[in-house]
Amino acid sequence: MSNILVYAEIEDGVVHDVSLQCLAKGREIADASSGKVDCLAVGSGIRAAAEGLGAFGAEAVFVAEDAKLEQYLTSPFKKVVSDFLKTNSYDLILFPATTVGDDLAPAVAEALGVACVLHCDGLAGDALTRLEFDRKVSTTYKAEGCTIASLKDGIAVAGAPDSSRSAQVSDVAVELDAASTKSKVLRRDVAKKTVNLKDAKIIVAGGAGVGTKENFSLIEELADALGAQIGATRAVVDAGWLPADHQIGQTGVTVRPAVYIACGISGAVQHRVGMLDSGKIIAINTDKNAPIFKIAHYKIEGDLKEVLPKLVKLIKA
Amino acid sequence: MSYNCIVIVREVWDTRDLTGSVLADNGSIKDSMLTRFEPEDMNALEMALRIKDEHGGKVTAFSVGTPKQVDVLRECLYRGVDEVVRVDAGASSLGTQAAAQLLADAIGKAGQYDLICVGVTVADGESSMLGTHVAGKLGIEQVSYVDAIEEIGEGRVVGKRGIEMGYEYIEAPLPALLSVGVALVEDDPRTPRSAKAMLKLKAKKAEIPSADVDASAVTSPVSIAGREAVPERAVESKDVAAEDETALKSMLDDVLKGE
Ligand SMILES: Cc1cc2nc3c(=O)[nH]c(=O)nc-3n(C[C@H](O)[C@H](O)[C@H](O)COP(=O)(O)OP(=O)(O)OC[C@H]3O[C@@H](n4cnc5c(N)ncnc54)[C@H](O)[C@@H]3O)c2cc1C
Repeated sequence: MSNILVYAEIEDGVVHDVSLQCLAKGREIADASSGKVDCLAVGSGIRAAAEGLGAFGAEAVFVAEDAKLEQYLTSPFKKVVSDFLKTNSYDLILFPATTVGDDLAPAVAEALGVACVLHCDGLAGDALTRLEFDRKVSTTYKAEGCTIASLKDGIAVAGAPDSSRSAQVSDVAVELDAASTKSKVLRRDVAKKTVNLKDAKIIVAGGAGVGTKENFSLIEELADALGAQIGATRAVVDAGWLPADHQIGQTGVTVRPAVYIACGISGAVQHRVGMLDSGKIIAINTDKNAPIFKIAHYKIEGDLKEVLPKLVKLIKA
Repeated sequence: MSYNCIVIVREVWDTRDLTGSVLADNGSIKDSMLTRFEPEDMNALEMALRIKDEHGGKVTAFSVGTPKQVDVLRECLYRGVDEVVRVDAGASSLGTQAAAQLLADAIGKAGQYDLICVGVTVADGESSMLGTHVAGKLGIEQVSYVDAIEEIGEGRVVGKRGIEMGYEYIEAPLPALLSVGVALVEDDPRTPRSAKAMLKLKAKKAEIPSADVDASAVTSPVSIAGREAVPERAVESKDVAAEDETALKSMLDDVLKGE
């Protein structure tokens, strides 16, 4: 029997999609072993979103609310989650593999002295699998006793809410001491979401090979001609050519459009994991050995400054 | 004010340009696989060396492994680290949490420190974020996914933490641990320094001291139950000549069908 707790990451009143995927996966495992799945939500102003988790299959939802938990920080969140787990026991605790989940999961594991496996791409019974060695090897990890894991985007399909289901919602007392409030968030510069890459049918993405901010007009023209959204690599976001909401990959969004046009993108594994399930991949790169070509359906070896205007012309013709 | 910095460095499998299979017939990692300095640990090293350049102090590098596995420590000496410490893991591979315990034991014995830097990577064959476990065992504050140090001084450090839609700036009291992220682009001003010829000559034969910790006393709650080769994704791929407008046109027609 597996009793599972899912950490519900809630930002701006919305439960993170990967937390919902964890819940769907947890449900699957609990159902197969006559176990149960509960959720724990920590933060401020999260109650309404947390209550909605019942419709996604949670049996009980625990809400730890406090104004001091408005922004994520390791120590106070670790304190709240580990205090909760000291009085509530679970076999498996699932976190979304986000910068919050991957930070909190090992911290909680340390506080409790239990096993931790991050970035799992698969979970079956008690076997946790991770894709390693540039996704060439699937490694299976087994843990003793209570196990904490973070699951990657794509682990399951977040089910549709079923309004006939509801969860028992209870409050969790929050006790923060001096030791758990030593650090602070001074400021956050978070891009407002201006693009919806997740639902895009076609994405034209630019990488460092675009060369300059001005050259992004080439990407824009193709995207306009196709009615596509614009994506980017981290190199582009770091260079300040596009805001962070355009970033695709491990620390950006994971996308599955019908068509993905990669322009001047080398295809580092951290980028590929965010786009490799695209229907058709077109890659334009001057380097015939660029790793992106290994996953591309159409390989165009050439300079994007010449190829992109040609594509625009052909589409408009 | 000067700082005593510690960096934790790892020698990891080199997964660049991997062709063919990684696993031998018996399921173990092929002998022909090469290793390299974990790139984010290299960034962590650079971060610590810059603090020393700017504020003075000392940088000590720790690495877990057998004597053969700690070339990375010599690489640290070549780049200007003051001291290195090898943490012996015994015969078997330890797993992240047990390695973190040994590192915490060794660091605890090494005297006063202000800052610990380590790469954020969960390496192949590891199960979790090494830095967070070390910080937890030492009972110090930690910040992960740190791309840069904004400020250090007056008993505190401010780390710029890369998150999904931007950055946040976290202030933590010293001593603190930073897990450092981001593979650097080539012309990035933060690119790590290269080895110095002079230091290379000096440190080539230097003895690498090892920490007085007992690997047999730690156990791992996680173990590797098996490894399986993942078949290459079969992508039917076509070369399209950049100059050939007819070919480009038919490609567009193909992919836009049904859109
Ligand atoms: C923890 C971590 C998380 C990360 N998360 C992400 C992430 O979410 N998303 C992400 O994208 N990256 C991420 N990265 C960074 C990733 O490792 C790569 O550094 C990044 O994806 C490289 O971006 P790029 O392909 O644009 O640049 P480069 O690797 O520099 O590639 C540029 C490419 O452009 C080609 N080129 C140059 N000129 C031209 C031209 N005129 N025409 C056509 N082609 C040209 C070059 O041949 C080259 O292949 C992460 C890294 C780490 C460590």
